[in-house]
Amino acid sequence: MAYIVEPDVVRYACMCGLLKPISRLYFCRHCLHLRCGFCVCHEVDSLFCGKCLENLPSTEAKLKKNKCSNCLECPSCHQQLSSKAATVAPKNPEDPKATPKKVIYLCCLNCRWTTRDVGIPDQEVGKSGWPEHENVHTNRLNAIMNHYKKLVLKEKQQQMDKDKKQRKYTTSLAERTGVTASILRKRLGMTELKNPLLEADDLKPAVASKEIVDSIEHLLTTPIKLNDITTIDQRLKLPDWQPTAVDKLYPVHKQLSVKRSLRCRSCEHNVSKPEYSPNSIKFKIQLFAYYHIPEIRIVTVEPLRIGKQCELLIKLINPTQHQTTITILPLEHLDAIQQEDTKVIEDPPETKEPLSFQLLQSSLTSHPRQINAKVGTDVSIPTSSIILPARDDAAEYDDTGETQNFQDDPKLVVFRKSNKAVIKLLVAPMENLELGEEVIAGFTMQHVYTSTIATTTENKEPQKFDHKMKIYLTLGTLVGSQ
Amino acid sequence: MEMRDIEYNKSSYVETSLGNKVSRQTILCGSQNIVLQGKVIVQQDSIIRGDLGNVRTGRYCIISKDVVIRPAHKKFSKGVAFFPLNIGDHVYIGEKSIVNAAMVGSYVYIGKNCVIGRRCQLKDCCVIEDNTVLAPETVVPSFTRYSGNPGVQVDDVPECQMDLMVDFTRSYYQHFVPEKRSKVES
Repeated sequence: MAYIVEPDVVRYACMCGLLKPISRLYFCRHCLHLRCGFCVCHEVDSLFCGKCLENLPSTEAKLKKNKCSNCLECPSCHQQLSSKAATVAPKNPEDPKATPKKVIYLCCLNCRWTTRDVGIPDQEVGKSGWPEHENVHTNRLNAIMNHYKKLVLKEKQQQMDKDKKQRKYTTSLAERTGVTASILRKRLGMTELKNPLLEADDLKPAVASKEIVDSIEHLLTTPIKLNDITTIDQRLKLPDWQPTAVDKLYPVHKQLSVKRSLRCRSCEHNVSKPEYSPNSIKFKIQLFAYYHIPEIRIVTVEPLRIGKQCELLIKLINPTQHQTTITILPLEHLDAIQQEDTKVIEDPPETKEPLSFQLLQSSLTSHPRQINAKVGTDVSIPTSSIILPARDDAAEYDDTGETQNFQDDPKLVVFRKSNKAVIKLLVAPMENLELGEEVIAGFTMQHVYTSTIATTTENKEPQKFDHKMKIYLTLGTLVGSQ
Repeated sequence: MEMRDIEYNKSSYVETSLGNKVSRQTILCGSQNIVLQGKVIVQQDSIIRGDLGNVRTGRYCIISKDVVIRPAHKKFSKGVAFFPLNIGDHVYIGEKSIVNAAMVGSYVYIGKNCVIGRRCQLKDCCVIEDNTVLAPETVVPSFTRYSGNPGVQVDDVPECQMDLMVDFTRSYYQHFVPEKRSKVES
């Protein structure tokens, strides 16, 4: 439950040095490293509207400014608008044949704002789409946008020309003979082909006027009605108009949501790839740490007192389909290994380049940041390791006695059931802690990870790796001294 | 944190052959319209309005104390129609929440003191935090976390939410045990 609403008490250290709960981590089975949301590349897979769940291709979404064309939001409270039906009396009530007309208007069911409040005419039944509120400066904005596009192109062209001049030795035949495409066109008497975007445009620069259009005199003379003035949120929701009065609010199209796939930054393998449909919650690739790394949960902890050894019970859960062996090691264990590793990395071996982005590669070799957690207790490191059997979904329904024959150290393993085991550790809070301070314990967990990727055709046996990571447990506050 | 045992008074609960545990101190109106698929816990003082429309829950649903579940209605020109309310598998509804939704998907977590407005649609794998008030006809997409009054999206939920909820509701059911005293009596 801890991962849904409660604070994160058990945190795993990602390769980058950030501490995250296991539910927020990914495990790249190709590099065998933990990755957090910051250590993966995010790619937009599909765009969809969160209300009508319509899937839009990216080009269409771009045209529509990443907004849904059907769903509208309330400009006042940003909730979803729903259409309401109403009947309107016929135009000429004396005509006996005339029937009352059915119309639709939009209404916010949270703040009761309606399209009638701002004078948007009701729509007839069966007619789809609401009139778009056009900006009066649309033409001017488009002209400016075109102008800037041209500037970009021009600068690019200039840069290219510059590069061309700098190159002394050309190998192209056309350039050696001096017969380029544009010269050839001139010789043939044809007009020079010009990019329409490169043509000079007649954009008139904006001129500052001396007169202030909006008179502010009324601000000084009439009292302000705060109810008629929009809030900053409401103004920023309509960036084109930024209305100051509530009678100028217009419905806003709902922003689209995305489904994204995640890619490991160093090996570029996918760690998460959702199914395309916005309705689906399934994944094509799901390398979440929750499915591959043993989960640790705090069962109980004795009240923490300085200098006293307190009992800490933690539960280990093996989520994989393979048996694993878990060893608890001191926190410093991994630091020593990492230092050795960095020495080796300084002399990099010739490896195959990844598919793209050499830049990413260079950013990855940077050292991980310092882990931001002040460890306040010593943890007694058990001498033996714990074997956890594979996860068996059918065992949930098996109420018969367990017949597991593991040679456990009774001082270490308290309880065992299917793929779970509860172990006892002793923690002793350090002397320098203050009363009421949060106590954090840390250790390195080593587990055997069984890789199911077939590396070569002959080697079909699943490979086993020792995987280590740092774990930080927030045990609660210090209650006193011995 | 590992879940603690939640004890209940065995004499005040009815356990069906499918494993549903329903408190006797509940108000189940129109019980012929209420279907609990199995291993569902309905705790005391909760109200399920089956008389308004069909209510169907999936497996491993937890309906906490003082929860009100009632199917949503819609006004038409010729009167009012109630919609059946379908609740998916592995859904948790926290204490004192009122659910007036049209649909609640699977693996949904609804916190304490929430109001799920009329005809809301909660898609699979979403989280409604404590004290949230969802405006009527709100659609909560998958993998989102809603909070506030009116409820707005504040965050996303981890991709493994499905397994987190399965684990949570299963362990809740396993830790929902009769009181020791009543065990001795029986």
